[in-house]
Amino acid sequence: MGASKAWRWGAAGAAAALALTAGCSAGGDGEGTTGAPREGGVLKLALEKEPECLDPHQTPTQSGRLLARPILDSLVYQDPKGTLHPWLAKSWAVSTDGLKYTFNLRDGVKFTDGSAFDADAVVANLDHVVDPKTKSLLAASLISAYDSAKAVDPKTVEVTLKKPDSGFLAAVATPNLGIHAPTTLKDDPAKLCSKIVGSGPFQSDGGFIQQQGITYTKNPDYAWSPEGAAHQGPARLDGIEVQIVPDDPSRSGALTSGQVDAVTALPPTSVKELRGNDAFKVHSVLYPGANHSYWPNTANGTLADVRVRKALRAGIDWKKIVQNVYFGVYEGAEGVLSKSTPGFDASVTPAYAYDPAAANALLDEAGWTARDGDGYRTKDGKRLKVRHMWSDPSVETLSVQIQAAAKEIGVEFVEENLDGGTFVDRLLKGDYEIIDTGFAAPGPDVLRVLFSKANIPTPDRGIANNMARYDNPVVEADFDAALRATDPAEQLKIYAKVQQQLTEDAAVLPIYTSTSSLTARSGVQGVAFHVDGSPNLTEIWLES
Amino acid sequence: MAGVLKTGPAGNGAPAGTGRAELVRLVLLRAGGSAAVLWGAVTATFVLLRVMPGNTADVLMARSTTASAETRAQLIADYRLDESVGAQYLAYLGKTARGDFGDSYVLRRPVTEVLATQLPHTLLLVAATLVVTVAGAVVLAVLSARAGRVARSVFAGVESLLVAVPPFWLGLVLLTLFSFTLPIFPAVGSSSLSGLVLPTLTLAAGPLALVSGVLREGMLRALHEPFVLTARTRGISETAVHVRHVLRHALLPATSLLGWIGGSLLGGAVIIEIVFSRPGVGRLLLTSVQNKDLPVVIAVVLLSALVFVVFTIIVDVITWLVDPRTREAA
Repeated sequence: MGASKAWRWGAAGAAAALALTAGCSAGGDGEGTTGAPREGGVLKLALEKEPECLDPHQTPTQSGRLLARPILDSLVYQDPKGTLHPWLAKSWAVSTDGLKYTFNLRDGVKFTDGSAFDADAVVANLDHVVDPKTKSLLAASLISAYDSAKAVDPKTVEVTLKKPDSGFLAAVATPNLGIHAPTTLKDDPAKLCSKIVGSGPFQSDGGFIQQQGITYTKNPDYAWSPEGAAHQGPARLDGIEVQIVPDDPSRSGALTSGQVDAVTALPPTSVKELRGNDAFKVHSVLYPGANHSYWPNTANGTLADVRVRKALRAGIDWKKIVQNVYFGVYEGAEGVLSKSTPGFDASVTPAYAYDPAAANALLDEAGWTARDGDGYRTKDGKRLKVRHMWSDPSVETLSVQIQAAAKEIGVEFVEENLDGGTFVDRLLKGDYEIIDTGFAAPGPDVLRVLFSKANIPTPDRGIANNMARYDNPVVEADFDAALRATDPAEQLKIYAKVQQQLTEDAAVLPIYTSTSSLTARSGVQGVAFHVDGSPNLTEIWLES
Repeated sequence: MAGVLKTGPAGNGAPAGTGRAELVRLVLLRAGGSAAVLWGAVTATFVLLRVMPGNTADVLMARSTTASAETRAQLIADYRLDESVGAQYLAYLGKTARGDFGDSYVLRRPVTEVLATQLPHTLLLVAATLVVTVAGAVVLAVLSARAGRVARSVFAGVESLLVAVPPFWLGLVLLTLFSFTLPIFPAVGSSSLSGLVLPTLTLAAGPLALVSGVLREGMLRALHEPFVLTARTRGISETAVHVRHVLRHALLPATSLLGWIGGSLLGGAVIIEIVFSRPGVGRLLLTSVQNKDLPVVIAVVLLSALVFVVFTIIVDVITWLVDPRTREAA
């Protein structure tokens, strides 16, 4: 199942409507455009992963968001920097108690099936998301504060929340809350898994075919691009052909032999090869949110001792390992959050420096002073052992290097490659020392998802994201305050404090910041990324 | 076929009318026995997936760490995961017998619908592979059986190599040569006919080499039989001797082998479908096992068992037609 990958992208809970900055790494986006944008052409795109269902109300996957976005518009648009703009809602107002959101809808919007977009459509969509029959795996939890919606008049919708949620608008802006043509919502939700109809710049008559792909055609009547979008009006492309090509060499070969125009998620080896080649361009963006990290079990086992956690943080040269394994394509991480996350607190970075002397001193202090025949540290005759469990073979190279580095300071890393079922079972029981995963999210609110006590996975709670099993009343109080904070600056200040506390407690061992990439032939122009890091397919145009 | 039968070495079988009745009886007998095989396949799969660690609802929920407790309860109720294993098994057996495989846990659609989209792609690949295997093996066997000793050992060597080469590696080599370097065939978008060429060759290479080797050995043995001398003395051309007498004699072991190959091609398709990014049942099976998508896994396993059964029956019928001795025995 590749469990750790499967939850790499989850809910940001309440993704805060703050001034976010999605960083762009070298080879950035959209710049270097030559001449006036050309109209026409069909973009052929090979995607590494497919969603199990096309309907973003149902699927939690990044690929689902990517494929639904060209078809479904949202009420609100969040630009790559995180700012909110009008889209299908031309304006909105929030009541002083934060419980009522009133949206004024744009006129003249039509779904591609000919029906008109109105307040009833919005109500039908919100109700569809939270309907138990939809079995939403993400969208419903993004708007967990949602109580009800009513159409005041054809152009006004009033949404009532159960409790204040400052992240509501940002949630509404995600593709997961995209607006379907209401006629399609009356059917069995299963039908939406292959075919969706919206008001977006593209439509797909054939829909999504599992293990094959989806073909989009341009919606020529599109005249309601979000405010602040780089391109307004109908898409320049006539269409997009997306094929699902999970095999890395095949995807790479299809691109270099000109069979497709662009591919997503090339492995670092291929990216490195193509970087020097003028015929291709690697567009990439750092995912905001939590870095790809080792999550130590802070509740029980050898890593419950903060000194051992700090020793691992200082005693392993994480950045050098990342450089070796990913050839400089991924950046080493320094902090709880990725650098591109709004609210990232740079003051914590010195704590993530390589310092083997300090590491050894910490381990001595923790009582792991003796050494056994293999050179590992022991205490009371027991070896200092750390079990790292995973079920995603792609992390193997990295794990092996970390294992070797840990041996240098006398710590044995036991690598346990498990099937998805065993993995989940042990995750719930807390029977592990380390789990690795990352968690992309557009704001620092992700800290609440990752470190609040309520999110510790247990057999009763089910799977949740506090895999460090971190439980600190001080941080809990901060989370509470952050949720209530009405001033964005105040909220960021609280989250900076949380990052400092988490660093002090060595609650996470960050490794690298994941990158979202689209590698394309150089004639593919206008490549940009959405705030969630997925490529924006609707603004692309073809030079040739 | 009738013409060939007349020159058969063991004379004519029973009169046509009785023969047909016997054939029907043979098929029915085989089909009856197969029902037990299919039941065994369904049961074994069900048990194995239950024994695997991890609660299905939790594995499903692993796809989203933020889904609510309500969603979890809905999933459990929908898939009757709260009932006893025995009750789930009986309910499943009943539905399976009626051809209702339920909804896929993960894909959220009826399993029959999922299979209906994927199966044609795999069937096309398997059919193309069988045609290439049979045609290629016959041509190679006839050519190599007539060739000299040295040429024959070259043929045998190449065959051993093809049988030994892992299909995924062969697939990658073919892709690199004939798609990435020389853009003759597409690497992706393989719904077209030209997209079928490389996957078929990759999947057929091993079976083709195997069958051709067995055919040649059989032909070489048959060449020394007295009836070949008789045929030659009747002045038939050497090609006719090879094709009409010797080849037919050598066909029996190759046919049995083909039955087994045909049945296992579905398994071989898994790797081919991944390397060539082809849609199909093989890839579907792999992801379904990973996702513990029980309804899909059971349906695909049942399908594979069914394919095996059908191929076995076909082989029995072909054997019955080709070799009159088996008819008398029956």
